[in-house]
Amino acid sequence: MILELRNIEKSFGDKQVLTGVSFKAEGGKAFGLLGRNGAGKTTSIRILMNVFPANGGEVLMDGKPIDYDKVGFGYLPEERGLYPKKIIIDQLIYFAELKGMSRRKAIESIDYWLERLGMMEYRNKRLDTLSKGNQQKIQLVTALAHDPEIVILDEPFSGLDPVNAMLLKDVVKEQIAKSKIVLFSSHQMSYIEEFCDSIAILNNGRVALHGDLHDIKRDYPRDRLVVRTEKPDAIKADFGAACTVGENGALMIQLRSADEKKAVMSRLAEKYDIDEVKVFEPSLNDIFVEYAGDAPKED
Amino acid sequence: MKQFEKILKFELKYYFKNKVFVGITIFFMVAIAVVMFLPRALEMFKSDDTADTTEEVSVMLVKADDSAQADMVKEIFAASFEDYDVQITDADTEAIKDEIVSGEAECAFVMTGPTSYVYYVNNLSMYDMNTQIADEVLGQIYQMNAMINGGMTQQQAAEVMNIKIESEIENLGKNQMENFLYTYIMIFALYVVILLYGQMVATNVATEKSSRAMELLITSAKPTAMMFGKVIASCLAGFIQIIAIFGSALIFYNLNKSYWESNMMVGSAFNIPPELLFYMLLFFVLGFLIYAFMFGAVGSTASKLEDINTSVMPLTMLFVVAFVVVMTSMSSGNVDTIVMKVCSFIPFTSPMSMFTRIAMSTVPWYEIVISIVILIASTIGIGVLAARIYRVGVLLYGTPPKIGAIIKAVMAADRKNN
Repeated sequence: MILELRNIEKSFGDKQVLTGVSFKAEGGKAFGLLGRNGAGKTTSIRILMNVFPANGGEVLMDGKPIDYDKVGFGYLPEERGLYPKKIIIDQLIYFAELKGMSRRKAIESIDYWLERLGMMEYRNKRLDTLSKGNQQKIQLVTALAHDPEIVILDEPFSGLDPVNAMLLKDVVKEQIAKSKIVLFSSHQMSYIEEFCDSIAILNNGRVALHGDLHDIKRDYPRDRLVVRTEKPDAIKADFGAACTVGENGALMIQLRSADEKKAVMSRLAEKYDIDEVKVFEPSLNDIFVEYAGDAPKED
Repeated sequence: MKQFEKILKFELKYYFKNKVFVGITIFFMVAIAVVMFLPRALEMFKSDDTADTTEEVSVMLVKADDSAQADMVKEIFAASFEDYDVQITDADTEAIKDEIVSGEAECAFVMTGPTSYVYYVNNLSMYDMNTQIADEVLGQIYQMNAMINGGMTQQQAAEVMNIKIESEIENLGKNQMENFLYTYIMIFALYVVILLYGQMVATNVATEKSSRAMELLITSAKPTAMMFGKVIASCLAGFIQIIAIFGSALIFYNLNKSYWESNMMVGSAFNIPPELLFYMLLFFVLGFLIYAFMFGAVGSTASKLEDINTSVMPLTMLFVVAFVVVMTSMSSGNVDTIVMKVCSFIPFTSPMSMFTRIAMSTVPWYEIVISIVILIASTIGIGVLAARIYRVGVLLYGTPPKIGAIIKAVMAADRKNN
């Protein structure tokens, strides 16, 4: 199962929001859609879910134009919100039925998810009696109850305590294991890094970077070494200006080229008392800042 | 279609679980029951009581300098004012005034000549007809005396005075008197229901938007299904409410029919010809729908509940103007003025004005057909347009957009769809 956006164009009035946006997400893998505020993430998601049509381009499922009657979407919007004054089970059934489930099946599935997320005791309560984190778990049920092929989670971890975040991680892993397409949108890079195999970074409505996260990292020139040591002074003196101190206290040595990597590594290991030496790979955070860094244009 | 059903059910449930909605309905039903059973209850009360309590009768004093005149006036007044105990008094004016102020007597006629008097009363009520009656009676006496003095016998004079004119009415069109009340009730009910439910639809949409439930709804259901589901649910709820209220009125009226028969007004309100009832339902439903769609569309453009009141203002104004036009021409008795004729083809005013014309005047059949066709077509058109505005409007946050901007956005969205 491959979901593909191809050359999507979208403008609101005179304002061009998306320009030639293309990316692919595969079933059984998580996909991270990144970008700063206003980069076009939500608009891309809305086009993907057919909330409004694109001005140009197409949404494909396994190479063919997607059939919205057949493909199920589960969506956890960034702007959370259900009916605050209504009974939780009533609105969960309503949303599941709107997605085409029969009442009986809906109740069965909702009860499973309420149980799974430890929310069974709130089943017959009003939504606004719940805490923010618990409301978010209820919202998650609406995204998953109808067992959709494509799960879109917009900032799923914001507002969750560590225990609930762990629970959500398990659920997400489970969805990926069921070979669903899981699409993440988040600013919390650590979560994206943990789950996502491939990413797309949007910047000003264009795809600035797209591909397999592992490959992206490998593509960076491997000409920097990270050294952890208790006695940094001797190394600093040895390498001079090429050696800087990184944020976490580790030393960063800039090589003249990637070719001398092996030689320098063995020299370090032989001459100095070091705990660890490895080739520097940028974190997703670094990549994000590099590609999405320049300020989005205001119109 | 399936989504539409689900939405309809969900929204309908919202109305029937709403305590205010249910409360108001029950309140009206009980109020109507009380009114309808009132004459029966009063009758029972009366028949029990008349035996042992004598009704207190207000005292009316009569004074004339000439005792013959005093006797005559007393006699005639006693016959004309059945509710009063008419008494002759010799007291002077001050004493009479005191008696009235202290409440011993209610009023007094002090004759100052055969055709002139002073009327004393403590608080002149709006409905005090005593002087009119006195004027008439005294005038008749004067005329009769004049005739007798002129040579007629008393019998001849009485015959002249009591001449009866025989007449017959052959009405070729509608009887406005009979139709007035239920036309009035229908127009008024339409007015109240549209404003009330229109506001409810608008608030309902805006609430979904402000609580961000919309974010999820819009990805779960088609905007047309949502718009039509909501509006038709509110229409059904309104209809059920009205049927509950008017239906119970009809049942209670029929249970107490014999007590109400003497009351022409009430009787006429429940005596609607089936043909008119059909038009009433038709115009009611269409008028309701067309306004509910507009209210829904307006609601979708407001991002906060506080914005609703200002956003719906133009709509409310339009409706109030239509209402005033119809009400004015109804009370003037001429419902076929140019304004009314024009209004009966404009879809926003025709539910009220065309119905009024059908009920209170004679309208050619083709005018009715044209008006209904225009109304149905516009209702569908407005419904579809409302769904489109809704689709664009629900995702706009911030200050409510201008009408022009919305129409532009809707048209732009259309171009892309085609």
